[in-house]
Amino acid sequence: MEGILFPRGVVESREHLNNYRRRGGYQALPKIKNLSPQKIIAEVEAAGLRGRGGAGFPTGKKWLLTAQNEERPHYVVLNGGEDEPGSKKDRLLMENLPHLVIEGVILTSYAVGATNAYLYINQQYGAAIQSMTDALSEAKDAGYCGEHILGTDFSLEIFLTSAPPNYVAGEDTAALEVIEGKQPLPRQKPPFPATAGLFGKPTAVNNVETLANVPPIVANGHQWYRSFGTAESPGTMIFSLDEEVNRPGIYELPFGTPLRFLIEQCGGEVKNNKAIKAIQPGGPSSAFLLPDKIDLSLDHDSVRAAGSSIGCGVIHLVMEGTCMVEEALRIAEFFAAECCGQCPACRMETNVLATMLKKAQQGQGGQPLLEQFGKVISFNKGKGFCNLINMPAPPIESALSLFRSDFECHLANGRCPTH
Amino acid sequence: MKQICLVCQNVDCKSRGSEALMKELEKKVTDKGLADVEVRPYMCFGACQEGPNIVLYPEKSWYAGVKMEDVNDILDHLAGGPDVKRLDRIDPSLKELIYQLLDTGVF
Repeated sequence: MEGILFPRGVVESREHLNNYRRRGGYQALPKIKNLSPQKIIAEVEAAGLRGRGGAGFPTGKKWLLTAQNEERPHYVVLNGGEDEPGSKKDRLLMENLPHLVIEGVILTSYAVGATNAYLYINQQYGAAIQSMTDALSEAKDAGYCGEHILGTDFSLEIFLTSAPPNYVAGEDTAALEVIEGKQPLPRQKPPFPATAGLFGKPTAVNNVETLANVPPIVANGHQWYRSFGTAESPGTMIFSLDEEVNRPGIYELPFGTPLRFLIEQCGGEVKNNKAIKAIQPGGPSSAFLLPDKIDLSLDHDSVRAAGSSIGCGVIHLVMEGTCMVEEALRIAEFFAAECCGQCPACRMETNVLATMLKKAQQGQGGQPLLEQFGKVISFNKGKGFCNLINMPAPPIESALSLFRSDFECHLANGRCPTH
Repeated sequence: MKQICLVCQNVDCKSRGSEALMKELEKKVTDKGLADVEVRPYMCFGACQEGPNIVLYPEKSWYAGVKMEDVNDILDHLAGGPDVKRLDRIDPSLKELIYQLLDTGVF
């Protein structure tokens, strides 16, 4: 199937400058000679590009807030922290399509009026860091970044910062802290980065996949872009399928593609034809869905209407025979371990939820324990600097409501219904 | 009945001296020979702005904003003396949430 980022299917090796140019690369950039920054922002807004890092916020709106701020200088940060378990899409883009990503960064910097941009890349992604460094050097030699890009008044310096591999380091304000030379701790918001970001100045922080969509939009226009996807979620998204299918990997598909197509046609069906017990469509912080949602349309609104979220497209399938108490416990322990510890409410909630699930797993606490989950979650809702405090709730609450009998079996017998 | 004296050790309570409070309580419980009292750290009671927080369980007394000079009164209470009413100021709905958690065995 034709994609936007991978027009000939996902490539497995690094694309060099000449190859990128041969297929139309760096043809969006010369448009800055005739297009004002405002026009570029308007094009991206008209295209309806939404962030691919998890929240799905409209990219053009984020840029406009940065661009219109009178404080100077402005900055752009490419967020390649990618700490979501199971997500490899940003790594793949940086490793194999580095020029597409860099052209996106340059266009974004022009649009928001930034003269410095930072590539914030997970330190575990050695090949991606190498690939981006090499591509950056090629782009500089070709006059695509540096002083007076393509003979215009626009100049841009691009720097690379390696990102710590822990989960919160991928949060946008934690990324700003790291670039400033501090610990990866999220900041209290507001102010948002668009108002007071890097070094206190207006900053556009965008995910790698988000910015990779910018050159095709600028080159081909918003109408072309909107020929992919749905009205509310235009374009494509890179989905990650885990080891539960015969062909795990990443697939670029238009928004609105049925989940069944991804699992059956792309993933080559579930391994050993096992039955699916639950679907987690948007990474560990998304709510579980029942397998009757297999024909769900993969777009922001449809997944939200079904009771979950699309996140950054990491789809996890839970097979029949898996205990949902164990699944929920695994997720709760992940968030308890990844909580940075600076917000007491988040530390309390993530630790208490993990402890409660451990009790349930061991068959302790009885029915009253199950009734405490909602209370602990609502007591702490929104009390942290970042969104991590809200993340364990959807998977735990959905596991409790959809798979209550698994919990009751644990409480009654102290063991899994599946063992 | 055995009483557990739970002393919050989350960031805010710690920054207000809850570590030293716990040590002092442990020492004085031993000195006084209160065999039925166990002093234990607790991850958080969710009343960070009111800390340091100490909860006596299963009796269900909650003392907030505890200072070193309050330790003797809390020990007297643990030894069968009166409540330390001046330290009892936590919202009843939060108390209920935490007591229910403790009742279900979440320590």
